[in-house]
Amino acid sequence: MTLSIWRYSHLLLAISSAIFLIIVSITGIILAFEPINNAVQPYAIKNIKNVSVAETISALENEYSDVLEFEVTASDFVMASVVSKNGESESIYINPSTGKKLGNVAEKAPIFSWSTNLHRSLFLKGIGRFFVGFVSLLLCFIAVTGFLLLIKRQGGILKLYTKVIETNLEQRYHVILGRWLLIPIIIIAVSGVYLSAEKFSLLPETTINHNWSPEVSEEFTKKELSEFELFKNINLDELRKLSFPFSEDSEDYFEIELQNKSLLVHQYSGEVISEVNHPFTTLASRLSMQLHTGESSVLWSLVLLISGISILFFIYSGFSMTLKRRKNKNQKLAFSNKNDSEYIVLVGSETGSTFIFAEAFCKALIHANKKVFLSTLNDYTTYNNAKHLVVFTATYGAGDAPSNARHFKTLLNSIKPVNTMQFSVVGFGSLLYPEYCRFGITVDNLLQMHSNFKPILFLTKINEQSNIAFNSWVKQWSQITGLYLDLKLPQTKTKKRKLRTFKVVGQSNLNSDNTFLLKLQPSTKVKFQSGDLITIVPKKETTERQYSIAKVNNTILLSIKKHDKGICSSYLSTLKKDETIRGYLKDNNDFHFPKKASQILLIANGTGIAPFLGMLDENKSKITTHLFLGLRTKASFKLYQEHVFEMLSKKKLVRLEIAYSQEEQKQYIQDLLFKESALVSKVLEDGGIIMICGSLAMKHSVLDTLEVISKDILKRPLSDFENNEQLKTDCY
Amino acid sequence: MKLIFKIFPLILLSAFTLLAFKTQTKSTNVKCMIQMTNYTGEGAYVVISLINPDGKYEETLYVQGKDSEWYSEIPDWWKFYGKRRANIDAISGATISGGERTISVVKIANDKIDSGYNIRFETAVEDQEYYTDDVQFELTSKSIKNKVEGKGFIRYIRMLPQ
Repeated sequence: MTLSIWRYSHLLLAISSAIFLIIVSITGIILAFEPINNAVQPYAIKNIKNVSVAETISALENEYSDVLEFEVTASDFVMASVVSKNGESESIYINPSTGKKLGNVAEKAPIFSWSTNLHRSLFLKGIGRFFVGFVSLLLCFIAVTGFLLLIKRQGGILKLYTKVIETNLEQRYHVILGRWLLIPIIIIAVSGVYLSAEKFSLLPETTINHNWSPEVSEEFTKKELSEFELFKNINLDELRKLSFPFSEDSEDYFEIELQNKSLLVHQYSGEVISEVNHPFTTLASRLSMQLHTGESSVLWSLVLLISGISILFFIYSGFSMTLKRRKNKNQKLAFSNKNDSEYIVLVGSETGSTFIFAEAFCKALIHANKKVFLSTLNDYTTYNNAKHLVVFTATYGAGDAPSNARHFKTLLNSIKPVNTMQFSVVGFGSLLYPEYCRFGITVDNLLQMHSNFKPILFLTKINEQSNIAFNSWVKQWSQITGLYLDLKLPQTKTKKRKLRTFKVVGQSNLNSDNTFLLKLQPSTKVKFQSGDLITIVPKKETTERQYSIAKVNNTILLSIKKHDKGICSSYLSTLKKDETIRGYLKDNNDFHFPKKASQILLIANGTGIAPFLGMLDENKSKITTHLFLGLRTKASFKLYQEHVFEMLSKKKLVRLEIAYSQEEQKQYIQDLLFKESALVSKVLEDGGIIMICGSLAMKHSVLDTLEVISKDILKRPLSDFENNEQLKTDCY
Repeated sequence: MKLIFKIFPLILLSAFTLLAFKTQTKSTNVKCMIQMTNYTGEGAYVVISLINPDGKYEETLYVQGKDSEWYSEIPDWWKFYGKRRANIDAISGATISGGERTISVVKIANDKIDSGYNIRFETAVEDQEYYTDDVQFELTSKSIKNKVEGKGFIRYIRMLPQ
């Protein structure tokens, strides 16, 4: 609940201020260059600490016919307003020791004055200023709510700067940049609010009032200016501004502004006539100005620059995340009444993606003429006719419930079910998180302990929304309930898929394993890479099949095993040269040959070798690559022999190991791995990559084997290397 | 008579030359202090102008406030300045707020003194009042050394010829 309030406010604040924030950030970025631009001008006085006010006054009086005032800027420039000996009044930068002119005070560049206007008032004068001030205030709130969300996401304030495990690019950098730039952004926002509040007189008075007409004795001891102790003791680094007396009248004084106080000094006696300390508001206002404009430090203005750019990125990535989330949530749900339904499906989902699975499952149930009710875990209640409860739930942060599942635990304890239900829990998560499917486990345990619920399946965990894993759970569930389900998972990127035609340019005969190679040429130009996926759509058939492709000489190479009842593989086996087929290409970024790696170990069984044939061909930089292959017979290898030997001779492959399951020692890949455990552990240890392609069963036994090798030889769990993205798999 | 004709161009030339010298009139630097009242709010825009004997703007002497977006808030002067928008960078300075004072130097042509010209100090503060003649007086060799009280945001001004 609290989470959604913060997220909702974060979003609402961002939406209401986005346009203004964009304008203000862009102009802010431009303005950040102003102090940088000023700092490169050669007027900075290096030894400003060693020059006294007395020295500067006498230098200026020698050099010019009249001096009005001089001030020391934040970048240590000394700026004077003088009347030159030929009667011209001018504003100049000077050398405070000699009084000599260093250069004219240049007007603010038009781009900066234009940006300043837009930045602080949107060209709307008073109203604009109010708006900008208000938007700054909103930015403060956005930063604070963002900070709270960040703490929640990272699992506590102490873990704020621990590793970020988001895989989505926008989300990832929203978090990473957020936690680093939070403080500068809050400083910018707060100082902006302060400056605005000051403009609208919302703060206490800041003017410094001297008593200009005290009772000063008419008799004073006249001293030379150079004898004034005060002027000799103040150095320029303590001074902000000094105004000369207006006339020679003894009631006109030197007006001196130091860092923290203002003084009036008698122009003949050197006596301090009035001294006023700067109130807190003056200092705060000065600090706000320095922090907001970066005028005193080039380094800080760089931080401001980066923060400005990052705000634009936050707006972009934040909205893109929201749009994605809405897209996932806006699924239309039309189902039976909760009390009529036999099947109750409850969902706990943070991003809405779990709903896609739940809905597909419900649709299949409805299709099988069952009454189904779908809702969130938070809506758990009584169900009069329910026989089955199925829970699909994701996990949020460090094992917490997703926002729409937070109350489930309390509800389960307080609401007594009408009848006994059979249940199954499917946890969705990512192996990248340490608390993988933690909330799914919690729900499963709660239901197990509840007398009204009977488990029919063990908890199933689904990694990275794997369709394959989900389908296998559906199969198990169907078997146990005896209800056949024709489940169609929606293709998540249906809209982006482009149906293409491919021409058959080559085909091998069926070998002893009923396996054959197929070479396809896309009819239109398209970019693809070995490891990408092709979905073949047979004519007049709705059954699609996906194959991992190899790219060899710019054609697609597939290795296909013909199944007797397989519609797609049978169809493909009947193809003749120059015939065309239809299908989609899908980028499979997680299963591409690495551009850089110390060593690569490729592991495949059966037709799983296909993508590797292309990848070896792509190994232009000749990374040390090993291929471990599991096949049935020696004859099985003939299909690939020519290509693999060519790779060996070109040194694109350095080592080939084959396990024949039906011949010789009748071994499997895992036997090869144990035999070569020294090599395997070396690959893992050196940060090399292991790629696995083939059957799921093979994948499981290979992962088990790797786990043993890793623990025995390296004394580390395999998950270390998995988290380090050293394992890539594509299995079916 | 012929002689007159012969020397006529010469006379003309010298007359023009004299006139040319005459137009390049001398001017005086006048130091000018503006002391603001203790009002609250934004820095005040102050424009010092020379007003001719017909009561029309003749010349802008000084503009306090560099943010040109606000110039139109000084309507009377804006009618004069806004048409041509001459470059006033050289004669402009930063605004000052309530209770503060500033000293600047303005250049006044000598022939404008004691010849019916006025000097006008016009003031405006963002979202507050506007005073067309916060301070206005005739320029005489005596008044140019005076202290003059203001009616609006200016408490007083003091002038001092160099």
